[in-house]
Order: sequence, then C-alpha cells, then structure tokens
Amino acid sequence: MSSLAHESTKPEGVFEQFETLDQQQDTYMIGMWAFLVTEVMFFGVLFLAYAVYRWKYQSIFYEVHNELDLLKGGINTVILLTSSLTMALAVRFAQLNDKRGQLRMLGATLCGAFGFLVVKSLEYSAKFQHHHFPGPDFRWEDPTVPASVAQLFFSLYFAATGLHGVHVIIGILVISSLAILVARDHPLVKGDYIPTEMIGLYWHFVDLVWIFLFPLFYLIPK
Amino acid sequence: MNATAQTHAHEPNYLEAGHSVRSWLLTKDHKRIAILYLISTAIFFFVGGLAAGAIRLELTSPKGMMLSSDTYNKMFTAHGVIMIFFFLLVAVPAVLGNFLIPLMIGARDLAFPRLNLLSWYMYMAGGLFAVLALLLGGVDTGWTFYTPYSSMYSNSQVTLTIVGAFIAGFSSIFTAVNFIATIHKMRAPGMTWFRMPLYCWSHYATSVIIILGTPVIAITLLLVVIERAFKVGIFSPELGGDPILFQHLFWFYSHPAVYIMVLPAMGVISEVIACFSRKRIFGYQFVAFSSVAIAALGFLVWGHHMFISSQSMYQGVVFSFISYLVAVPSAVKIFNWSATMYKGSVWLASPMIYALGFIGLFVLGGLTGLYLAGLATDVHLTGTYFVVAHFHYVMVGGSILAFMAGIHFWWPKMFGRMYNENLAKYNAIVVFIGFNLTFLPQFILGYLGMPRRYHYYYFAPEFQFYHILSTAGSTVLGFGFIVPVFYLLHSLKYGAIAGPNPWGAKGLEWEIASPPPVHNFHTIPIVRQEAYAYDAVAEEQVLDEERERTKVKN
Amino acid sequence: MAYSTPHEPASFHAEHVTPVATLLKAYAALITLMVITIATALAPHYVASEFFNSQIGSVFNNLVAMTIAVVKALIVLLIFMGLRNGSKTVRLYAVMGFVWFLLMFIVFADYGTRQWEPVRGWEPIAPGSMPRQRGSSEPDIERTPAPPPLSTIPGP
Repeated sequence: MSSLAHESTKPEGVFEQFETLDQQQDTYMIGMWAFLVTEVMFFGVLFLAYAVYRWKYQSIFYEVHNELDLLKGGINTVILLTSSLTMALAVRFAQLNDKRGQLRMLGATLCGAFGFLVVKSLEYSAKFQHHHFPGPDFRWEDPTVPASVAQLFFSLYFAATGLHGVHVIIGILVISSLAILVARDHPLVKGDYIPTEMIGLYWHFVDLVWIFLFPLFYLIPK
Repeated sequence: MNATAQTHAHEPNYLEAGHSVRSWLLTKDHKRIAILYLISTAIFFFVGGLAAGAIRLELTSPKGMMLSSDTYNKMFTAHGVIMIFFFLLVAVPAVLGNFLIPLMIGARDLAFPRLNLLSWYMYMAGGLFAVLALLLGGVDTGWTFYTPYSSMYSNSQVTLTIVGAFIAGFSSIFTAVNFIATIHKMRAPGMTWFRMPLYCWSHYATSVIIILGTPVIAITLLLVVIERAFKVGIFSPELGGDPILFQHLFWFYSHPAVYIMVLPAMGVISEVIACFSRKRIFGYQFVAFSSVAIAALGFLVWGHHMFISSQSMYQGVVFSFISYLVAVPSAVKIFNWSATMYKGSVWLASPMIYALGFIGLFVLGGLTGLYLAGLATDVHLTGTYFVVAHFHYVMVGGSILAFMAGIHFWWPKMFGRMYNENLAKYNAIVVFIGFNLTFLPQFILGYLGMPRRYHYYYFAPEFQFYHILSTAGSTVLGFGFIVPVFYLLHSLKYGAIAGPNPWGAKGLEWEIASPPPVHNFHTIPIVRQEAYAYDAVAEEQVLDEERERTKVKN
Repeated sequence: MAYSTPHEPASFHAEHVTPVATLLKAYAALITLMVITIATALAPHYVASEFFNSQIGSVFNNLVAMTIAVVKALIVLLIFMGLRNGSKTVRLYAVMGFVWFLLMFIVFADYGTRQWEPVRGWEPIAPGSMPRQRGSSEPDIERTPAPPPLSTIPGP
C-alpha cells in the first residue's frame, strides 16, 4: 500500500515508512516478538503466584488437583498441539503463496481452537456444578483439606486457564479475520506471508502457555 | 551529513497538510500524534496539579480544614494516579519521543504508524476511565492499591481506575514495541548503534523496561479487580493467600516504572547539555551502556519499597545492596554530563537552565534515595515526607524539569516559532525556586517524623511552619508551570519564525525545515559522523571524507 | 539502497521455509513428550515403588515434568516459531522474555526465608457477612468493626 504522493521507487507492497521489503518484514518480526515478550511477562505473574503458593501448599494442592479432569486436560493438550501444527503448516503455505492450502490449514486451526473451547467449557461447567468456582458459592466437602486453600487453588486455576481461554478466543477472532482477508485477496495479505507468520507466532505462544499450564495444574505429583 | 537544510518549497510541513479535525484525529503522522499527546498530557498534568493544590492547601492547617479525611485520601490518590499513569509515564516518551525518534535516526515515520495512533486512542480511553472514576467519587486506596484494602474493603471506584490504568498500560506497551522496532530497523544508512543520539538510546532502554514490566502490573491490577468483582482472590489472608504478594508484584513493575519516567528525561538532558556546551557528550559509550544498566538493575530492586512490609530480612538485605548498586549508572551519567560542560562553551539558554536544574535536583533526589536504600535508616524514613520529597525531587525536579527543557529545546523545531526566550529563562528560575521551596522543607518534615498520606498532624503542630513553606513554594511552582503555557501558545501566532536550526545544534532533526515536512526527509541521509560532532576536529574529519569521496569519483 | 525497479511486484520471498517433514517430526516429538509427562505423573499411582511415592520422588517428578515442558517449549519455539532460523535480535528478545520471567522468582528470597502462614487475627468470615458501608461522608472515626481481642486468636 505505498501511497506516497510524489515519486516512489519502492516496490509494491512496501509501506511508505520503509525503504525495502526486507526491512519491512524484519521490522514486523521484531515488533511481534517484542509483543510476545509482554505476553510472557503477562502470564508469568500467574505462574509466579502459582509457584509461590504451591511451594507452601504442595501436598494440599495435590489433593485438590485430583478434582481436575485429567482426561479433558489431556485432550485439550492434544488439540492445541495439533492446532499448532496446522498453524505452522498454514504459515508454510503462506510462504509458498499457496492460498488454498493456507485457508485449509487456517480452517483446521480454527477447528482446533473451537474444540479446545468446547472441551474447556465442559470442564468449567462441571466445576460450576460442583461449586468449585471460588467465591461466595464455593463448597468443599473433603474435611481433610482446608477449604480456604482449596479455594486458593481454584482461584489460581481459573485465573490462569481463564486468561489462557481469553487468549484462545482472541486467537480465534484474529485467525478468522486473517482467513477472511486471505480468502478475499485483500492487499494487506495478498502475496505477503508476514501477517500469517505474525498470527502464527501468537498462536504458538498460546500453545506454549498451555504446555506449561497442563503439567503445573493437572499433573501435580504426590 | 548535509550541511544545508533540506527545504523543498513545494512540500507542505506537517502542520499545514490538512486542517480538518479528521486529518488530525485519523493521522498516521508521528509528529501529529506527538502533538495530540502534548495536548492531552498537558491537560492531565493540570488536573493532577489541581489535586496537588488541594493537598497542599489542606496541609497548611494541622487539623485539616476543608476536606474530610475520605476526600483527602481521594485527593492524594487522584494526584498519584493521574501524575504517574497519565503524565510522567507518557510525557517525554510519547510527546518528545514520538516526534523526535524518527527524525533523529533519519526515518520517515515510526515502524508502525497506525499502532502509534491506536496508542494515543488507548491512552485517551484509559484517561477517560480515570476521569470517570474521579467524577463518580474517586478512589481512596492510594495510587499503590495495596491489598486487602483495595481488593476487599474499599468502597471507592477502584475498578474503574484500575481499568483506566490497565488500558493506559497497553498504550504504553504499543508505543514501546513501536520504538524498539523503529530503533532496531529504521536507522538511516551509516547510523550505527554508536552513532545514534543518546536520546534514542535512553528511549530504547525505556521501551525495553516497558515491555518487560508493564504486563506484570496489568495482570496484578486485573487480579485485584477480579477479587473485587467475584469475591475471590489470591491476595486475601482468609484464603491462605498473602497480601504481600500483591506488593511484590506491584513493585516489580512500579520500581522499573520510575526508570521509565526518568530515562527518557535523561535522554533529553544529554541532547540539551551537548548542544549548549558546544561539546560532544563525554564518554558516549558509558552513557549509552548506563541506560541499559539502569534498565536491567532497575528490575532487581523492587523490595526496597517493602522493607517494613514484613518481608523477610534476608530479602531486604539483597534488595538494599542492589539498590545501592543501581545508583551507580545514574551517577555515571551525572559525571559525564558534568565533564561535557567542563571546558565547553556554555550558553545559558532556557533549555540549558532547566537541564542544569535537572542535574542539581536529580543529584539531591538520588542522594536522598541512598538513605532510603539503607535498611536501618529506611525503617525511620519510610512512609514519611522524606520519601515524598525524595521522589518528587527525582520525578519533578528530574523528569518534569527535563520535559520542560525538551519542550523548550525542540519547540522551534516542532512549530517553527521561537518563544520569548527571556521570559522562558526567568520562568525556569522561578520553577527552580518554587520547586525547592516546596520540597526541601518536606525532607525536614519527614526526618522529624511527619507521616505521608496523613490528613492532619494536630499531634505535632510544630510541623505547620514547614507545611506552610511548602504550600507557598507550591504556589510559586504552579505559577512556574502555568506561565509557559501562555508564552508558548503566544509564540505559535506571534513568535519569531525559527529557522531549521536556531540553537546551532547537531543532529539529523536540525537538518530539516522547522516545522518538518510531512515525510521528514526528502532523501534519507547517509550518516558519516558520530553524534554530537560539535568540535572542529570532527567537522574537519567530515570535510576530509567528503573531499576523499569527490576525489575518487572524479 | 536496494530498491527494485518501479512497479515490479514485490518478491515476498520467504527466507526459510520449514519442510513439512520437520514440522511433522516436531509434532510427533511433542505428542510423545506429552505422553511421557503424563506417565511420570501417574507413576506413583501405578508403580508400587518407594522412590516414586516419597518426598524425593515428588521432587523428581516435578523436575521431570518441568524439564519435559521446557523441552516441548523449545521445540515449539525453535521449529514452529522459527527461532532456529531467526535473526539474532529476535532470538535475543525471546531469551530476554524468559530470563525476565525467571527474574521474578527472586521473590522466593522472601517466601523461602520466612514463616508466612497468615496469622488469623479474626474469626473466619462467612461470605457476604462483612458489613459494607454504603453512603458518602462520615465522621473521621473508624468505620470497620474492631477485631476481636487478642485472647480469642486460635493460635498460629
């Protein structure tokens, strides 16, 4: 979208603040990684809070975590890893300028994302039914485990997985917007693989967070 | 570098290109966005200043005369929240940084112009939430939002204010991402990292701090909001949580935040001192690396805000030690600036007066920080007016004075008009006097034991003398901040037309017309000299190289 | 300055296109590692070994789980996210992000060196029973109910 009024010797598709295409692409990559650094620190706080409390309450957390549905967590992990693969393939197709392949893979990623949310909502609804959502309605039956610490565990669990879920939803919005733009040959993405790569980076990051969330919450050792 | 300014008569400057509101509100031009930020930060500054005025007025009487305690709490919270989140964190980077960084490195715009505009809109949205919170009753937790008061017991507009700060935080993050990408990738050919103006180094370091720190406070405050909304929390003792964890997470960002506020200011000072001493900055690499060192070390000292919070003593020792260390890179800068002025040809223009004020006041503030870094002394001084004076010395005497220096230095570049320099000089001195009158007595107050955030001090009526001095000073200081608004605005219409380089400074931004054309540079310059090539030797070098090049060509 | 000739469509060439085989191998590795993590975590239930069911076993399990998670993360970062072929700057930023996250663990200098069981200074409140003050200005006296006298604290 070069729209300089006066003479332009730039190739098509290079924005006016950049001189060359390489410069533009490298700049977008650096910008995206800088943004991912902020996301690392964003989730990092929750991981830190979790680490602090687990350090203190390891055995209690072990007891409480048995309430979590390992099967659903495992399924979600597989779904997310697979969607990461399809996203990487989508980026690859974008790099090779293969529109159909790219759209297929983006669609597959979206399916994975939706699947993740479906499984997650099943998990959450089971938790709500058992009154394990922290707050005034929280109920904990097991007398050997202090209810307050159980509530703490669930606060951390819902904060971390909830934030992750929000990022999945944002990912869905962004990926579907990308798919629509690609399908319509919009100049922003036509022939340019960088937007896909940037969104791919975001989606892989979402997967990364889950790679750590899953063992930390679902696989607490005794 | 071209010795003559690049002027192309047909090219409009950025102020002339489009006069509609739409052309301003939908602009992608970094210079226009900088002006938008200038107007909005100035408004927030005066709102925060009104809150400060209320505080100072109230404290002239030991019993408290106008405000109820609750309202007083809301006043100092408002003052803190607005000044920190909506002025100090934003002013130098978003106003001067946005305007100048592309100009200084020889680029046509920032890396992501639309993201830049989004940053401003997010800043305004955040500000809107904060103002809304003020109008709906204010918040009384202090700008530090300590739990469990903020998360469980306060009845004030905590959620709204936090949402405002959250959004403003993301505005800051986007600006930082923009700066990082720009400085990495869009420098003009020949401008290596070590030929870049130190102003850009300081903004780069600031941007790194922003991306590493702001998300932490964003999520911490979000957790407070969640605790308020859902009555669940990880900071509440009833759940087996620890309120001190909030403090750890809060200060993990908020200490580096003060470096976000001061590093860009130091960048301004580097530029101003070099120009008005007609000398290159002494020890360029040391100053550049000290910015990076401040950024890195600044993350390792947050515990010094928590020495009396019941955190472990061993942690206190670690943080105390590193806090002493972090003073070193700042001192390096002060020494280098002083060495720059030594045997330089010092011109006491108004920006330079502000810069000299910065050096004096920042040193004082920094030195008093050392008392606070020591565990034993901090036990007595923390939570008193000593701390208040300390941080106002570095933040106002430091950052705000540098912001004034920057505005005065680059005003002719930004608007093509020169303001009344004599008036500006007198005003700078008024600011200096007013500032010292306001905050020097506060050191004494703190030492004598006056606690901060206290509405009344009827138990110690001997403090009243110092409070009255302080309030008198704050009136002078307020005056000193209001007067520039008038002469600067006046200059826009009636000021002398400024040429491309009224101060005779070195730097790519001074090579183009004032105000700059829309796309900054007609042709991207090729940089062959170091920054601040003020001495004759460097000039000769460049001329020699030019001669060599032309010889080879022929 | 490397401008191509005017009006030539930009060659949006990608520098490094990861082959499909590499991506599939990475995926296989990730799934395998996930299975291993789950197996090690469930081991104490199914393996009647002293080791697995002891405190050391628990630490060992933690370590194994985290190591595997880090390896999986590295696979995602290097192969899926392209850091293997990335520029130095981008790699620096990726490293910096994780290093800074680890810096936050300095907080353990505090939590590891003090006894921080929150001391009950009051009876546990029933949810929703805490009186919340509504309304505006009030006299400058305490608003929340005073805590019970010290003698009723149940002890640390």
